[in-house]
Amino acid sequence: MTATALRPTDLRSVQDAVLDTTGPLAVAGTGTAAGWGGTLGPVDAELDTTGLTGVITHNPGDMTVAVRAGTPLRELAAELAPHGQYVAFDAARVADGATVGGLFATADAGPAALVHGSLRDLVIGVTVVLADGTVARSGGHVIKNVAGYDLAKLLHGSYGTLGVVAEVVLRLHPVPKASATLVVDRPLAEAAELAGLVLGGPYEPAALEWTSAGRLLLRVAGTERALPARVERLRELVGGTEADPWADPWAEHAALVRGDGTQAVLRIGVRPSRLPGVLAELPAVAVTAGLGTGVATVALDPAAVAGAHALVHAAGGTSALRSRPAAAVAPAWGPAPPAVGVLRAVKAELDPKGRFGPGRFDPWM
Amino acid sequence: MTSTTTPGPVVRTAFEQVLDPADVISDPVQCRAYECDGLTGYRVTPALVLLPRDAGQVAAAVRVCADLGVPFVARGAGTGLSGGALPVADGVVISLARLKRVLEVDPVDRRAVVEPGVTNLEITAAAAPYGLYYAPDPSSQQVCTIGGNVAENSGGAHCLKYGFTTNHVLSCEVVLADGSVVTLGADTGEQAGPDLRGVFLGSEGTLGITTKITVRLLRTPETVRTLLADFPSVAAAGDVVSDVVAAGIVPAAVEMMDTLAIEAAEEAVHAGYTLGVAAALVVELDGPAEECDVQFEQVKAICDKHGCTRLHIAASPEERAAIWRGRKAAFAAVGRISPDYFVQDGVVPRTRLAEVLDRIAAMGDAAGLRVANVFHAGDGNLHPLVLYSAAAGETERAEKLSGEIAELCVELGGSLSGEHGIGTDKACSMPKMFSEDDLAVMARVRAGFDPKGLCNPGKVLPTPRLCGERPGKYRPHPLEESGVIERL
Ligand SMILES: Cc1cc2nc3c(=O)[nH]c(=O)nc-3n(C[C@H](O)[C@H](O)[C@H](O)COP(=O)(O)OP(=O)(O)OC[C@H]3O[C@@H](n4cnc5c(N)ncnc54)[C@H](O)[C@@H]3O)c2cc1C
Repeated sequence: MTATALRPTDLRSVQDAVLDTTGPLAVAGTGTAAGWGGTLGPVDAELDTTGLTGVITHNPGDMTVAVRAGTPLRELAAELAPHGQYVAFDAARVADGATVGGLFATADAGPAALVHGSLRDLVIGVTVVLADGTVARSGGHVIKNVAGYDLAKLLHGSYGTLGVVAEVVLRLHPVPKASATLVVDRPLAEAAELAGLVLGGPYEPAALEWTSAGRLLLRVAGTERALPARVERLRELVGGTEADPWADPWAEHAALVRGDGTQAVLRIGVRPSRLPGVLAELPAVAVTAGLGTGVATVALDPAAVAGAHALVHAAGGTSALRSRPAAAVAPAWGPAPPAVGVLRAVKAELDPKGRFGPGRFDPWM
Repeated sequence: MTSTTTPGPVVRTAFEQVLDPADVISDPVQCRAYECDGLTGYRVTPALVLLPRDAGQVAAAVRVCADLGVPFVARGAGTGLSGGALPVADGVVISLARLKRVLEVDPVDRRAVVEPGVTNLEITAAAAPYGLYYAPDPSSQQVCTIGGNVAENSGGAHCLKYGFTTNHVLSCEVVLADGSVVTLGADTGEQAGPDLRGVFLGSEGTLGITTKITVRLLRTPETVRTLLADFPSVAAAGDVVSDVVAAGIVPAAVEMMDTLAIEAAEEAVHAGYTLGVAAALVVELDGPAEECDVQFEQVKAICDKHGCTRLHIAASPEERAAIWRGRKAAFAAVGRISPDYFVQDGVVPRTRLAEVLDRIAAMGDAAGLRVANVFHAGDGNLHPLVLYSAAAGETERAEKLSGEIAELCVELGGSLSGEHGIGTDKACSMPKMFSEDDLAVMARVRAGFDPKGLCNPGKVLPTPRLCGERPGKYRPHPLEESGVIERL
């Protein structure tokens, strides 16, 4: 049986779509991460959020934006750009048309996480539709707000298993007036030492990533007047050359994050100082490593995924399987976290019939 | 359920099985020391106070509560301003004051692992030798605990640029309401699955008790530049904030005080603020020296453009400290110009600052009461201080005005609370900000964590028992009417 396609265009029709069906339901955006996480079990219907687009309110003076969840982030970025504002978030999938809701539900993040965190740190409000049709909001439109539970956080990384994220309110930042990237060719261990020097000093890089092309990428962002001196100061410390703006080294980084389709892509996070050691032990084909964040993307043979989960877990870290070749069989998640009981209890409260995203967190819940 | 009788010996004995009997307090006089937090108008004497010495004892004590069906309330330093740590009459207070160890400071990974009773400032003190600090800086940081900060998702003057407690806590060890122990969050920002850590942050002690917290530490900025600027009107100072933001500058802090607040602060600490000006703005920038210098010039020019009547630039760390002393003393200092006052905590979108202040002034005039304003102008978080005299019988009027100001903030698109929390104080106002469905879903999440409702019951979410049948409308607190509590 093929799943019914539902394509709501506003909050009300999301609610109708959920209420008009009774069985298991999958939520999908533009499909840039459709295969991430646990393999989706059989569903009666697929709720496509790509009709749920557009800015609801943007108050430039307040630097906040409320947006429908199916809006591709790059489209939102284009709308914000004339105001000199942006969502300080640069996951590789943004360029592929990933939706705000999809990026949020999969807890994706890019190199800018070093300073700005992931969407969990930028979200200030959310509207969700639950399996019983309840529409609930939490947070609001102001960046500082502690009234009520922060339900947006619960939906961050929920992979469509708790409810349909229909609207998201985000905090915005001013687009830096100028930025530059230093490229330093170094193997991982040496790059990690340099990273330690940079992060231990007054340099305040905007991003710091090593790639398995053997390069450390250091982004600096700020004002036009101050930037050259800052880049110079950094170069005195780490050497390297300023990247040619036309040969964007970050595009190369993003390509490694996406993977080339022949390998499994595992996302891991461990204490930054442990990251080089963990990476050295993984049978990785390609790597991007946030030496300041401790978050890395690793391409490896699908057969090596189970072992990689165990290794990362033993180092106190977390791991999640992203894309993998179509026929590959590999566990999406590592050992269940101690809080899995809470996760199941919250799931049972919000989606007692287990309608949303069956299989996504298999075997945890 | 609301009896205030002392617990039967069985209950006391049960806790004595898991704690040193000396750490189980049942003497009513001693228990009374825990009867309120910083919101002293609400008072309830708990049946028992428990003083566990480590996380294991906290878990064991909670397990006893779960077995006996006894409600419990976690307590840090008791500086909360929303009655979050208000005891439950037939329940126990679990004080985390003795869990005071800094377990680890890791200068390489820039993080610290601490027990919940460690104060906010002690974390920075432990990190300082490595050139690191813990960023969120509530004005109460010398005394408030990190456990309380986690529960309230506390903010501070520097949170505009650096984010709130939730942005700085990587993980929490939590004792759940059934006594089981879990870790929420992870060693990095990357978690597998939903961000349960983020739900726990700011849940005001209603989802569990945190017994160990891993926080991020930041490197102390290379340069800090601070200025104090006077303006002939609040609107002019507000325009400065808007222009600074429009210029793409994210200051480390932007704080505003009005005439009354300045007067009070000067009287208390003589920090060098100008008496009589309509508004004073404190703007602080930090970061790499080159960047700071450029932006500081821009900020000065913006101040001049908007008719700044005096610009004082801190020339030394001492002068900077003085400026902050004035700002941070403002709350308590108001006691010098008024016998009594209520501290309010609401948020409006920053662009509506001038409007909300006009309306607050009009509301104050109508009520015949003075309102002093101290606020985090960068993020629209207001702290109107409603001045009154209880002796003159103004209490009820002042309280009503204070509540109306919080609800006005919601009406203007903001929030009931920016940092002090909902607690007992504002639970009945929650329907002004959230629909019944919103609140019901929050209650479902709470039930997922604590199905029996033993963990800090009666806080955050309105209940018919506390708020009457029509939550949201102002009315005297039922406990107040029945004489259980009183507001001073
Ligand atoms: C003069 C003054 C200035 C202040 N300035 C600020 C400010 O600038 N910014 C700001 O945000 N706040 C401010 N506050 C409010 C207050 O200091 C904060 O809310 C603080 O975080 C409370 O910490 P505490 O240790 O005193 O917690 P308590 O008051 O003891 O408890 C607060 C809440 O936390 C819960 N709790 C305590 N410990 C734990 C734990 N280990 N696990 C789970 N729950 C727990 C309690 O149950 C309660 O609900 C101020 C207060 C005062 C008196």
